[in-house]
Amino acid sequence: MENKKLSRYVDELAARVNGVVEESLGVLVLKVQAPYIIEVLRGAKEFPFVPCDFLHDLCGVDCGDHFEVVYQLSSLHGPQLLRVKAIVDRENPVIDSATHVWEGANYLEREAYDMFGIKFKGHPNLKRIYMWDDFEGYPLRKDYVTEPIEVRNIVRTRIEGE
Amino acid sequence: MSIDKTQELVLNMGPQHPSMHGLFRMVVHLEGETVTHIDPKLGYLHRGMEKLAESRTYSQFIPYTDRLDYLASPHNNWAYVQAVEKLMGVEIPERAEYLRIIFGELARIASHQVCIASTALDMAGWSAWSYAFRDRERICDMYEMTAGSRLTVNIMRIGGMSAEPPEEFWPALQSFLDDTPEMLEEYYGIFFGNEIAMGRLKNVGILTKEMAENLSITGPVLRASGVDFDVRKAEPYSIYDRFDFKVPVRTGCDSYDRTIIRMDEIVESIKIIKQAVRDIPGGPIMAKVPKVIKPPVGEVYHRVENPKGELGFYIVSDGTTKPSRLRIRPATFINLQMLPIVAKGWKIQDVVAIFATLDAVLGEVDK
Amino acid sequence: METLKYLMETLNNLFLIIAEFIRGLFADPHSVWANLTMNVINFIIVVIIVVLAALILILLERKVAGWTSQRPGPNRLGPRGWFQTIADALKLMGKEDVTPAGADKFIFKIAPMIIFCLPMMTLAVIPYGRGMAPIDIDLGIFYFVAISSISTLCFLMAGWGSNNKYSLLGGMRAVAQMISYEIPLLFSLLGVVMITQSFNLGVIVEAQDTIPFIVLQPIAFVIFMIAGLAELNRAPFDLVEADQEVVAGPFTEYTGLRWGLFFLGEYGNMTAMSALAATVFLGGWQGPGFLPGYVWFFMKVGVMIFIMMWVRWTFPRIRIDHLMHLAWKVLLPLSIVNILLTGLGIYIYRFVMGG
Repeated sequence: MENKKLSRYVDELAARVNGVVEESLGVLVLKVQAPYIIEVLRGAKEFPFVPCDFLHDLCGVDCGDHFEVVYQLSSLHGPQLLRVKAIVDRENPVIDSATHVWEGANYLEREAYDMFGIKFKGHPNLKRIYMWDDFEGYPLRKDYVTEPIEVRNIVRTRIEGE
Repeated sequence: MSIDKTQELVLNMGPQHPSMHGLFRMVVHLEGETVTHIDPKLGYLHRGMEKLAESRTYSQFIPYTDRLDYLASPHNNWAYVQAVEKLMGVEIPERAEYLRIIFGELARIASHQVCIASTALDMAGWSAWSYAFRDRERICDMYEMTAGSRLTVNIMRIGGMSAEPPEEFWPALQSFLDDTPEMLEEYYGIFFGNEIAMGRLKNVGILTKEMAENLSITGPVLRASGVDFDVRKAEPYSIYDRFDFKVPVRTGCDSYDRTIIRMDEIVESIKIIKQAVRDIPGGPIMAKVPKVIKPPVGEVYHRVENPKGELGFYIVSDGTTKPSRLRIRPATFINLQMLPIVAKGWKIQDVVAIFATLDAVLGEVDK
Repeated sequence: METLKYLMETLNNLFLIIAEFIRGLFADPHSVWANLTMNVINFIIVVIIVVLAALILILLERKVAGWTSQRPGPNRLGPRGWFQTIADALKLMGKEDVTPAGADKFIFKIAPMIIFCLPMMTLAVIPYGRGMAPIDIDLGIFYFVAISSISTLCFLMAGWGSNNKYSLLGGMRAVAQMISYEIPLLFSLLGVVMITQSFNLGVIVEAQDTIPFIVLQPIAFVIFMIAGLAELNRAPFDLVEADQEVVAGPFTEYTGLRWGLFFLGEYGNMTAMSALAATVFLGGWQGPGFLPGYVWFFMKVGVMIFIMMWVRWTFPRIRIDHLMHLAWKVLLPLSIVNILLTGLGIYIYRFVMGG
């Protein structure tokens, strides 16, 4: 019932932003291009009756030729779930920051930046969150080469004054 | 040089600090004793769980989930295992569902006891700390009887449970359930009812309902801000829809409610376990699952109510034996965002108390 | 019956008899040399009291901690863990003495020495039995409070000298807290002084032969207990060395014996404060005659120390603004009211008694 209602609104929203609606294991998935993301999030937040107004999760996914930023939207007032996927260019991964819609996106976007190198435009403090600041590379990208165990086992020589 | 101006003191708390549970580090800017700015630094316990998952098979990853929120490891197993089961479409036996409920709720009690204990300890309530840990020990014993380990239990498998509880488990569980009201009374008497503790916690670190919703806060912290939301009720996973329990909600929005709501949750967990023990059927504890776990191509997002908030697993499968992407939504990592906002303007002692009420476990925060 | 009474009398004055005997060894029992020898012996006794108290109290504290939190406490070393403190002391002696690179070395090193001296100076004026004060001075209470307030300075010196931010925060807290609590502490003692008309601790004890002053001055006793706990930096007022906030406050950078000296100083001060409470409010060495006076005295001190430990292990720590609030807005007015009431009481008493 809820899903049907939600599905109507999602379809309307998808039509506005050239999105594709799919369904995966009972959850609606809306795929859009990166520039439309803020419009989609704001739209989803203001669905009448079934607002998806709670940013549950935000993560990056490496799909080979492009990245996806996956937003798991839910609500504190009902069981509705919506998954929004923004397709981000691999060469130049830039997307608008969701921190202006939900403040809670702050750390999540920092994590996605840390792990995938996706730049969130308008983020107040876009720095690495898990890795140290001068870490090179983005570990969760598929083309990130983890060093072999032999290299890792060599004890790092201590630099004087470190 | 004028002396009528005070200088801001930048204090680096952690990663090695008595009250930073684990390896949390925050840079605190102080004006006297008052905090003007907090800059949390994470990642001292980052083990790259998500990257590790990509080179492990689905079954091999289960022990890693234990190391997320290591105070409630059955819950992490549960969330992950259920996500994979959802992806594969596996139905698990009734008895296994009931056992999962029992172990999950025991883990919730244990985790909340640690939260109460560490909150007390962060305010130097030494005895309250050891009382709560004394009682948690009994839950650890029950884990040990069944699974062989006390902390990282690793008790669930894709398709069911790893072990049937031994005979001595049930009397131990029963006596624990019978003793719980007395335990809670003791915690209240020694800590929560204390005038000093109330002064330290009441009306400190206000997190309003709007702020909580905006900051994606989940779990007891959200419910202490007056939002009636619990995944167990809103989107009942497993067999939670069969049980009669309430979702405790408090409207104080302060540190005191964030802590004492965990006592209310223990009471509800006891109710659930009692019903589960009453209704548990016999039968097998493992479903028939293939030896090699190979989910179909697709993706799944599954969330459960961890003691500390909502734990979510987002698995993207490419049809092989290893996940193409495994995303963990750590509850306390997101809850931690409130610390710099809420703690601003309070004393350094309050920051410690507010951090304790968030019940952050760095294994989960840093993944 | 006569012999028993005689024996009791001897036991009661045992130490005085020994002192007379030592003085008797000199040609003139009141010469300068005799006095000097007696002073040295007194000093050694006080040092022994301080060190012994620390040794016993550290073990006792851990046992009380175990008792309140329902665990055995130290129980491995010797019978029921009684040798634990000795082992700890040996361990402390074997530790490397580290001075931080940026420390103000002189201040850093002298702070623990001073704090260790203070309890010896304060314990020297306490009457342990009838006529058994090592130094009997007329301004006993005044001297005691003046000396014990020097410890504020030691905490600040340790905090500043360590060149550590936690230490500095702890040192600053110590100054704010101890200066604030000095005032109600002194005012609570004034009531007793008004009744006895004397600062001399011996006279105060003598005045309690019928009734201890805790009955006449209950408010003052409560204020004294709270302010005394705060003066000693004991929980729930242990903000200075609060592990959970400022790691160990001024002691963060200290190692080995220097840290041990702080510990000795803390327990010595605790003994001294309990001794003062026992002397002023609980009747000192006064007690039923079946036990010698000094036994009564040490029993009362023990009870006070036990209460302090009990409070420490059960109460959470108070917040700094609540702490100041308590000192200035509750204890101080209360102690002034107590002084007024005491004055009124004395006036009425004299009026009724036809003074």
